This record gives sequence, structure tokens and C-alpha cells, in this order.
Amino acid sequence: MKKLLVKILGNEKTQFIAIPVFSILISLIVGMAVIGLLGKYPATAYINLLQGSGLMPKPSYSAYQGMLTDFTSFLNMLTPMLFAALSVAVAMKAGLFNIGVSGQMLAAGFIATVTVGYSALPSAAAKPLVILVGIIVGMLVGGLVGFLKYRFNINEVVSTIMVNYIVQYLTSFFINTRYMDQISRQSKAISGASRLTLMDVPMAGLQVDLPLCVILAVLAAVLIRFFLDRTSVGFEIKAVGANRNAASYAGINVGKTMVLSMMISGALAGLAGVTYYLGYLQSIQPKVLASTGFDAIAVALLGNNNPVGIIFSSFLITAVTKGSSYMSSASGIDPEIASVITGLILLFSACSAFIRYQVGKWKTELEEAERRNADVNNNH
Amino acid sequence: MSTIIIDGLSFALPLFIMAIGAIYSERSGVTNLAIEGLQGFGAFIGALFVVLVSGNQGTNSQAVFYLSFFFAMVGGMVYALLHALLCVKFKANQVISGVVINILASALTAFLTKQVNRGVFNQPSDKFQLGVSNRYTVPVLSDIPVLGAVFKNIYPFEVIIIIVAVIAWFVLYKTRYGLHLRACGDNPHAVDAAGRNVGQIRTAAVMVSGALSGIGGMCFAYSISAQFSGSIYVGYGYLAIAAMIFGNWKILPTLGACLLFGFARSAGYQIVQILEKPSSYSDLVMILPYLLTLLLLIFFSKYNRSPRALGEIYDKGKR
Repeated sequence: MKKLLVKILGNEKTQFIAIPVFSILISLIVGMAVIGLLGKYPATAYINLLQGSGLMPKPSYSAYQGMLTDFTSFLNMLTPMLFAALSVAVAMKAGLFNIGVSGQMLAAGFIATVTVGYSALPSAAAKPLVILVGIIVGMLVGGLVGFLKYRFNINEVVSTIMVNYIVQYLTSFFINTRYMDQISRQSKAISGASRLTLMDVPMAGLQVDLPLCVILAVLAAVLIRFFLDRTSVGFEIKAVGANRNAASYAGINVGKTMVLSMMISGALAGLAGVTYYLGYLQSIQPKVLASTGFDAIAVALLGNNNPVGIIFSSFLITAVTKGSSYMSSASGIDPEIASVITGLILLFSACSAFIRYQVGKWKTELEEAERRNADVNNNH
Repeated sequence: MSTIIIDGLSFALPLFIMAIGAIYSERSGVTNLAIEGLQGFGAFIGALFVVLVSGNQGTNSQAVFYLSFFFAMVGGMVYALLHALLCVKFKANQVISGVVINILASALTAFLTKQVNRGVFNQPSDKFQLGVSNRYTVPVLSDIPVLGAVFKNIYPFEVIIIIVAVIAWFVLYKTRYGLHLRACGDNPHAVDAAGRNVGQIRTAAVMVSGALSGIGGMCFAYSISAQFSGSIYVGYGYLAIAAMIFGNWKILPTLGACLLFGFARSAGYQIVQILEKPSSYSDLVMILPYLLTLLLLIFFSKYNRSPRALGEIYDKGKR
């Protein structure tokens, strides 16, 4: 057993992928045990999850529905998650913990809704404008947090939490007094022209929801990766994150770099906000922060703060979340079990450092034992 | 005026006890973003006890009320063990661990609440109904003008909190264990050199923080809604962390921060009522405590200093 694990996980070159996959497998097995305890078939449940996300065909579909329908609506849900996780990752690279992604999302989503969403602009002007407004608002809010940290030494965890509350209540006030839809108890729906997801597009005989920004999100991940790994500013951000004093000693302007990374983080959170409130949804529920911003922290960490890793981790977590409603209707398992599985995946991934440490220890043990055996054989 | 004090205290004190929990954990060197999850899980165990002994209609029995706090403490403590295990034994990143604990707590409690309701009470419901807590008024003291309101309409848990807080203060600042704990947060190697087990002290500190968070969560479950449901996760834990950082990781300044949150909040509600504005205006005044905190932090953050070894995994070989 020890030998097998060391063989699979011990190679330092493949560890970055082997260990996360290993932790995910363990958590899926534990998840199966939980489902089994409830008296349901675990395999069926997991297949249901994939079916609900459009990654496997369901046994039957209603009219104008198909695997493609499920898959595009899965992508629709994935887009904000991907942006939000990137936002967390960029801040984390600079050593800052952006716990306020949800607040920045809401601020961007709200401003974009009232400025562009309620205007009569045609689609070609409205959609780019929504994205632009999202980026700018997110950048301003993120930049404010960075500025408070740089100028007044205000811990970013506190300031982002405070900003979360302020945005939440402020938008709730305006929605309640001005933009309320009396029937849905949410803000009035935005115009179709400004929505970043095209709804009910006929395609291949089906009706699908096309999230336009999913390409932008994947592009953003690649861009951020390039920015962090291949540009001097990206290097400065990472240097500040690794050791603030050393970076400052090397002549990097630490304050400026922190503000910059918070602005980028905020801009990405803003994009998450507009794709969430003006894409995945079309209205804002007052006084509620999207849980996306908090889940994104875990998704970013699962992807090891690596933009490409984040594409995979957000894919996985969104698949579990999205598939849960179909799972509950198909096999009668509570949809809450999906979030338990998500929690387990994150829990076991959090132990990845320990797994690496333990495997390394076993590896040296085995190598030493081998050497001893070889010595014994030689002596004979 | 007296309403402001009464409501302000009933909000500030649960926050305070959670913040003390966070102080214990962070002063020992373990970053604790898990307060949100710990308070929710503690409240879940407390509420589970209440519904299991008295059915899902709620009860007014006082014994059940006090025992529920005991169970909330135990629940928070056991759940905190997971955080301690991850941070101390498994060398996980403490921020990650905290966030994961929060996500897992809200998922688990939502799931288990449904399961228990279906399995035991045979009804589909996602909440536990608790009884309404009694409130007391101290006879003579409450007649003092203005300040007498402190003794009016108090929840019994406010007394529990004050007693626990005094003990927690004493232990942290006046005992040998407290000294070791604080040393663990600033220089764990010195503690190790003095012959103490850093991992053990940190584990104990995280468990204390879980127990205290459990009390806080149970208070909110009783005072805000008289039930346990997913609505317990609205960020009280994060607010407590903010209060702790605002209070510079010290117990008394943190009390000040909590009182500020509590009174600004209740005063805001009161102002809306006095001005006879529609209730949506309360959202506007609810911004006050948070805005005020940001403004005050601009002046006070210069002196803000976190424990030196906060968030670092203790590595014996490191110098």
C-alpha cells in the first residue's frame, strides 16, 4: 500500500496534478459512502450529477431540451465562478486575502444593472458597455481596499468584510426604494439586449442559453497566467506575495503593487458580478450576497491559485453544484448532499500539503530500506 | 434610548464571545476564519438537542435552554477539532482550512437538519424550531436613569456570556496557560524551548474558540429568530473577526468594537422609527456601523499589529 502510494504520488514532476486528483478521488469515495448510508446507489448519484451538468446524456429529455441545453446552462453557471476564483487567486498571489469578492460582484452587478441594464441601448452597444462598467466598478472597489491597506495599514480582511456589508445594504436600499419588482420581490429584470447570456437560442433543434462571456473567462485565465509568469509586473506581484520585506529591499514599490493587484482582483470580481447578475440571472435579490464569492476562495485554492488549475477546479465544483438538482429529482437524494461533497473535496484538498509531506517521508523510508537490503546482499 | 441599549447589548455580546474565541485561536498563532462555521455548527448541535428532547415545536423549559448552550459549546468544540487537526497536524494552509470549515459547516448542517426533520419528525422542514427565551429585568438597578436599561429585558445568555468572558480574560492574561498561549502566537520556538508542546497548546486554543463560537451561535439562534436554519450563516462570524482585528487582538478593545457594532446597529433602527421613514430606510442606517468602523480604522490601524507567528505552520526545524 505504502509502496503503491509512493509510486503514484512520489514523483515530484507529476505531484502537482497527482496529489489534487488523489484528494478528489478520496473525497468522492467518502461521498459515495455517505450516499450509500442514505440507502441510495452512489454510482447512480454521480452519473446523475454529470447528466445534470450536460456532461452525460440523460435517459429522456423534454421538448427542445438536450444534452447541449444542460451543458450550456452549466457553462452559464461556470462563467462567474471562474472569474471570481481568478479574482481570489490574483489577490492571493500578492499575499492579500480578498474575502470581499461577493461585495465587489454585487457592486458591479448593481451599477451595471441600473446604468445599462435599464437603458434602451441596442445589444451591440449594451453588452460591451455592461462588461466595461463591471470592470471599472470592480476595479474601483478593489482599488479602494488596496488603497486603505497601503495608505492606512487597514487589514484587507476587515475592510473587504465591511465593504461587503456596506454594498449589500446600500444596494438593498436603492432596490427597495426605486427598482423593486413588486411580484418577484427582486430588482426589475434587465433588458434582454444587455444580458450577457443569450436565452433560448435555437440550435440543432434545441433551445439553449448561450453564455457569451465563458470564452472571455477562459481567455482571462490564460491572460492572467501570462501576466503573472511572463511580465515584470506579474513577477513583482508574486515577489510582494512571497516576502514583502525582501520585495521592498529589492526596490519594488510594495504599496503600489498591492493596490494594483487589488485593482486587477476587483476587476475580475466585477466581471464575475456582471456575468452573474446580468447573465446567469437577470435581477438582483436585495440584501443577499452571492455565495459564489466565498466558494470561489475554495475553488481558487483547489486550483492551487494557478489560473489554469482554476479552470479545472471551477469546472469540477460547478459540475457538482449544477448537477445536484437533477440528482435530487432523479434519485431522490437531497440536493444538499452536493454541497457536502463539495465541502469534502475541499477538505481533502486542504490536506494536500500533508499528503506531499507524508509521501515524501515514506519515499525516503523506502529508499533507505532498499539501500540497507542492497548493503546486506553485497556483504554476503 | 433604552431600546438602543437593550437591543445593542443583545447583539454585541454574542459577537463579543465569538470574537474572544477568535482571539484565543489567533493569539496562539492559528488564523481562524472558521468562526462563521463554528458558530453555525455549535448552534446546530444546541438546537438539535432542543428539538430532540422537546419536539420540533419549541419549548419554554429553562433547563433545556441552559443545556442547549452546553451542547452548543460541545458541538463547536468538537467541530473546531477538525480545524485544529487540519492546521496543526496536517499542516494545511490555515486560511484554506478556515474557509473549507465554513463551507462544510453550512452544507452539513443544512443536510443534517433536513435528514433529522424527515427521519425523526417525519416532516419536510429545513429548520429547527426553538422556544422563545425568557428575558429578565433586575429590580432596583433597572430604575437608574438611562444606564438602567443595561439591566432591563436582558436575555439570560447575556449573563452567561459576561461570566464566560471574565473567565476567558483571566485565563488569557493571568494564568500560565494564557502566557504560553500568547507566546505560541509570537514565538512558538521559545515555547518549545521552554519545554511546552506547541501543537497541544494551539489545539486547545482552537477548541476553546470553537466552544465560545458555539455559545455565540446559539445566542443568535435564540435572540434573532428563535429557530435554527441556514439563516444563521449571514456573516456574524466574519463580523466577529473584524471586531477582533479592530480590537488589535486584545479582549477589552474588542469589546469596544463589538459594542460599537451593536449600538450603531440598534441606534440606526431607532432613528428610522423616530423619523417615521418606511422600513427600507433601515438598510441605509445599517451601513453606519460598518462605515464607522472603516473611518475609525483609518485612525487606529497605524497601531494594528497581528501576532507575529500568526498563520505560520509550526516547524520545529525552522529557525
